[in-house]
Order: sequence, then structure tokens, then C-alpha cells
Amino acid sequence: MKYTQDIAAATQEIFSSMVMLDVTPGESFKRGDSKLCNSISGIIGLAGTSKGMLAIHLPNEAALAITTAFLGMDVEEIDEDVCDAIGELANMLGGSMKAILDPGGSDIQLSIPSAVHGEEYAVDCLADAETVAVPFSFNGQTFMVELQISKNS
Amino acid sequence: MEFTKKIVETTEELFNTMIFLEVSADPPFAEGKQAIGCHVSAMIGLTGDFSAMLGIHCPETTGLAISGAMLGMEIEAIDADVKDALGEIANMLAGGLKERFAAEGLNLELAIPTAISGKSYTIASSTKNNRVIIPFNIEQGQFFVEMKYNLN
Repeated sequence: MKYTQDIAAATQEIFSSMVMLDVTPGESFKRGDSKLCNSISGIIGLAGTSKGMLAIHLPNEAALAITTAFLGMDVEEIDEDVCDAIGELANMLGGSMKAILDPGGSDIQLSIPSAVHGEEYAVDCLADAETVAVPFSFNGQTFMVELQISKNS
Repeated sequence: MEFTKKIVETTEELFNTMIFLEVSADPPFAEGKQAIGCHVSAMIGLTGDFSAMLGIHCPETTGLAISGAMLGMEIEAIDADVKDALGEIANMLAGGLKERFAAEGLNLELAIPTAISGKSYTIASSTKNNRVIIPFNIEQGQFFVEMKYNLN
């Protein structure tokens, strides 16, 4: 699927350079409207010549492990630090995808990130958009990165 | 920048002209993050002269009432129609705010809307960003319009 390689490369680079974790991409898929359980999602909008949304969805344990590695401090529950860290990851992933979608650097901009977490929730794309999700694994944990690009843009 | 005033005006205008529900605003929440007990939300990113994220958050009864009024039909559960209706409301609220900021020379572009729904979820804001949350009342209950922003 389009963007799979870009998402895989951008995510691996950010994780190896900023989080100091090696993550392995799996087969990309369409996430559909499946529910997320005991998870946290970092979401950021892209607007300009391409409109879209980038999200990273992580089970709580993966989010805690990543935040611990990212911030260099132990976190044990989904608190403000974890929400900030996951929002910041969405921001960095959005920045990488912006550079790929818009190499000139002036036609797409990022909104600010938002973090959503809970025991059971769904994150649905509402626009007519091309969507792709790429799963990643590290140390027995998993998460996914999802990109939606509007077909009307 | 008068975020609160612009959000209240835009929301009232939208509800009066498109959804036909009487709506009244309460004072914005004091700064800070709080879990608002909601079951369906729609969010949309804004970029340009500043970066932002706009969200509308509804408890189930209010979400059903608003989407039912907008679509002109009775809705009994949070389904795809409700999410689409709220996404469209988020889109129109963001569009209305875009116009109001454009009148002051600040240009914004909209991203695409996303719906969040579920039995229990919390929407956090980065501690680095500003956040305005305004509660609104309709006959069936309360809902919240939120704007997180960063003036770069």
C-alpha cells in the first residue's frame, strides 16, 4: 500500500534516534473501525495541499515502555507525562510524513497533537480518505501508526 | 485573540442556522485538564498562522439529540450517522472560526475530522499548549467545545 514504506522508515528512524528503541514493522493493513482497548492514541492533523491525520495507537503497556525510554524516567500509569510523550511522538511522526508528502516544506502544515486514552474507544476517519496502518513490534510489545490522506486534497 | 468569544459565537450561529437547537454557553472551564464524561467526540486540526485542534465532546444523550436534530431523524445509539454528523459539526465549527480569524488577518487551513467514541476515554492536551473548554447547554443536556492552540 502507498505510504507503507514511508511510515515504516519514518517510525523506525524516530524510534531509533529519539526513543532509543529498535522497532520492527509488520504488514500494513486497513484498521477499519476496530475498537482500541486499554490504549492511548496520539493524533495530529495535516492541512494544506494534502489534508489528513496521522495517529499512533499504543496499548498501555507499550506506551509506558516507550515513555520510560523516551523521557528516561520510570512511568507506571497513563499520566500527563505519558500523554505528552505520545502527543510528541505523533508530532514527530507528523513532521516526518510532512517532509515526505511535501518535500518543498511549505505546502503542508501540522496542527497540534492530541492524546486520547481509555479502556475502550474507537477512532474513526470521517472524510473520504485513503487510510493505511502499519503495525510495529519491539521487545514483545506492539503498536501501530496510521495515516489518513483525504482523496479530495 | 478572544478564543472564547469566537467559539461561543461560532457555535451559537451553527446551532441556530444548521441544527435548529437552542443553545446557551456557560463560562469556560478554568485552565487545566479534566476528564469530561463523554461518549462521542469529533476533532479536527487547524494549521496556518497558528496551530490548533478543535473538538466537540458529547455525552451520549446530547450526541444523539444533536445528530438527530441535524439529520432530521430519531437516533437511538451512537452509530456511523452520529459520528458523521459530529464530524461535520466539527468541520463547520472549524470553518466558522477560520472565517472569524481571517477577518483579523490570521489565515488557517483545516485538516480532516476524526471521531472518537467509546464507553470510557479521556482526551488530554499537551501541557505545552493552551486550552479553552466551553460547556454549552441544550434542552437534552450539556456538551463541550474545546480548542487547544499554540501561537507558535
